[in-house]
Amino acid sequence: MSTVISIRGLEKRFGRTVALDGLDLEVAQGEIHGFLGPNGAGKSTTIRILLGLARASGGEARLFDRDPWRDAADLHRRVAYVPGDVSLWPNLSGGEAIDLLSRLRGGTADRAAYAERKARLIEAFQLDPRKKGRAYSKGNRQKVALVAAFATPAELYILDEPTSGLDPLMEQVFNREIDRAAADGATVLLSSHILSEVETLCDRVSIIRAGRRVEAGTLAELRHLTRSSVAFVHVPGQESAVEALDGAHDVVVNAGRVQFTADSDRVAALLPELGRLGVEGLTVAPPSLEELFLRHYGDDPAMADGAPAASGAGAEAAR
Amino acid sequence: MSPVGLLVPLVASRARRDRLQLVLWIAGTAGLALMATAAVGSTFGDESERESILRLTIIAPAILIFRGTPNGAGEGEFAVFLILAFLCLMAGLMSTFLAVRHTRGDEEQSRAELVAATPAARTLPTAATVVHGVLANLVLAIAVAIAFMASGLDAAGSAVTGLAVGATGVAFLGVGLVAAQLFRTSRSANALSVALVLAAYLVRGLGDALGEASDDGLFRTAAWPSRLSPIGWAQRTEPFAANDPTPLLLSIGLAVVLIGLVFVFQSARDSGASLLPGRAGRAAAGPLLSGHVGLAWRLNAGAIASWAVGAVLAGALATTLTPLVDQIGSDAPAIAETLQQVAGPNASLEEAFTVTFFSMVGILAAAAALQAVMRARLEEAHGSAEPVLATPVPRRAWLGGYALVGALAVVVILVLSAGGALLGSLASDDPAASAENALQSALAQAPAALVFLGLGLVVFVLAPRLTIPVAWALLAAGAFFGIFGELLGLPDWLHDLSPFAHSPLPVGGEVDWTGGFWMLGIAAAATALAVVAMGRRELATEG
Repeated sequence: MSTVISIRGLEKRFGRTVALDGLDLEVAQGEIHGFLGPNGAGKSTTIRILLGLARASGGEARLFDRDPWRDAADLHRRVAYVPGDVSLWPNLSGGEAIDLLSRLRGGTADRAAYAERKARLIEAFQLDPRKKGRAYSKGNRQKVALVAAFATPAELYILDEPTSGLDPLMEQVFNREIDRAAADGATVLLSSHILSEVETLCDRVSIIRAGRRVEAGTLAELRHLTRSSVAFVHVPGQESAVEALDGAHDVVVNAGRVQFTADSDRVAALLPELGRLGVEGLTVAPPSLEELFLRHYGDDPAMADGAPAASGAGAEAAR
Repeated sequence: MSPVGLLVPLVASRARRDRLQLVLWIAGTAGLALMATAAVGSTFGDESERESILRLTIIAPAILIFRGTPNGAGEGEFAVFLILAFLCLMAGLMSTFLAVRHTRGDEEQSRAELVAATPAARTLPTAATVVHGVLANLVLAIAVAIAFMASGLDAAGSAVTGLAVGATGVAFLGVGLVAAQLFRTSRSANALSVALVLAAYLVRGLGDALGEASDDGLFRTAAWPSRLSPIGWAQRTEPFAANDPTPLLLSIGLAVVLIGLVFVFQSARDSGASLLPGRAGRAAAGPLLSGHVGLAWRLNAGAIASWAVGAVLAGALATTLTPLVDQIGSDAPAIAETLQQVAGPNASLEEAFTVTFFSMVGILAAAAALQAVMRARLEEAHGSAEPVLATPVPRRAWLGGYALVGALAVVVILVLSAGGALLGSLASDDPAASAENALQSALAQAPAALVFLGLGLVVFVLAPRLTIPVAWALLAAGAFFGIFGELLGLPDWLHDLSPFAHSPLPVGGEVDWTGGFWMLGIAAAATALAVVAMGRRELATEG
């Protein structure tokens, strides 16, 4: 399968601030790729470089194996974009903004089909297209941008926190539209903070922090990076026996239960040992992505195993 | 807490929010008063000269639209004739903007909701706006009175002048507050109230122009339209002559009625709602919005239209007022000399007059063109350029669209001003010659206006964050040095820096277009440079 987005060692500096510090990112064709990271990690900067709105200070970014800065206009025939913070023209109605952007993208050539797609999306997202731009709430501005993005089919959808401000029902509508686009073979780069959204939609995930990629892989691969949590009813004396077990970490007694974490590939081997101890009320929770994310999002970069020690770029992210 | 106790912090927060804005409005208005009264002493120091100017208004009453009711040739009366209506206009605009900003503006931004959720509830913030507006007009009245007294005019007349300006402001405070109740957006409310302020000004001008002059031409009784306008009421106080403040009771009475209405409306409607339903937009875009140029035109059309109104007026006046010209030559040699300085020694006085008006049109055209560049900057800064540039529109074409709209704005404004001039020339002795002169004058302004467009585009590309202040500063400096530089005796090189100084002068039957061609070349080069450089520049959103 060919690569749609290929970024190697990408750097971007704004004066003395380093926004991207050697970022790598690979997105294959037909993939829905989750693009995660705390605020200020450099997600939007990466997207702006991919759209040719900003120029890289170093490294290489390729979109459909072309230069996103030099060939911007040409590449944009194949791309749909939803910004994170949508600002509309105050005196244009939502319907006018959708038509304008669709015409600019050349999506209205098949008039009847376009009108049908637009009507379907406006209905699905429950958008009032006659309101003026200034009268829309944040969620409704987001809907205008989403309708404009989906009303013209694209090969690549670049979505920067597209569901911020949407209610849960609308998030479901959004998920359906992504599925529809993916079924047509489109590629999606989805920047998001919402774990459930990423878990539902994405095939692969890249987590970035302080302008660098700290984790990448399928969701299953990422789960392996975290530990399962195990707990049972506390009988005095057992905690020391647990501490002696190979693969058990962070043993604590809390609210009458012994709790510890176990390396995910050691859980099966630990169970007979626990049986020998005769524990009661045993629970084993599968590894959670949330823990992984919190580790990478947290204040202390040292907590993130495998993450490079915070460089100069950490300043922005560590806030 | 008592309502009064709650009112104090609300008024204080309004005063704090407005501290810079109101200081500028009040200082600007008082500064104008000071300049006008000082001019009476220096330029029109001679009573016979003042009398001759007042008599000119018998021949060309249209001039009264921009002045006031003549009430005698004393220094104080003459100063009032020169500037009072304009001071009232400023007070009106200041007050309506203030009213809308603190009522509908807050509601639109959902700030009003935060305050309405406190014990202040829904009505007290409006009461606070009334108090704040009345206080602002009181300060304005005092500042204007001080400005008049500073030029050595007597205290009673100065006080009446100040009160007249302040009372007009209070009347329009009521107008602005009602407009804010009617519409859902502050933009619509501001549009209505600005239209009403301008209408009050023009109705008053019409009344003055249609009024009856006394035999010696030094006094004039305004016709009935003036009695419909708060600005007309202000003039009827006849400062320095009758000094009668009673007509101001009309303004105060109007304000009381309007503000009473506001509280009735306010108690009947939801927060955020309006009496008139908001106008729904189109569900689908029209054919104009098919590309980025159409969008740039749509975003600029409103501003171009308002500059164009000024252009039509200036064009019409350039030819309508020509009957004045002969009279000026004999009665007011000082003014004739001034006009001659602007137009050069070869100009006939009539041509000089037309050229002077068209140099104003040139400034308007340059302003409209620069505004297209500023719009491009606003689009970039607010993030609405981003979705357009994420479509197959190249950066160069995007900026080129705004350059094209700027050039179109220049064409529209010059064509309309020439149209206004043609209409005006129908009344003159020699319509054909007058029309030809006006058309050439309009055309002559194009190169300088286009130079400003090109310079603005270059600034936009090289220093995007400075676009708006630098564009206004360039225009102000260009207008000041180019048109007034010679009058003020500034060095030639300073004068020559301004594009306006090189506009061809259609005088003496022959026109030297050399300067125009040079400037067209510069404008084209600057625009091309900017558009090409845009291909290499990133989008600069923040700041």
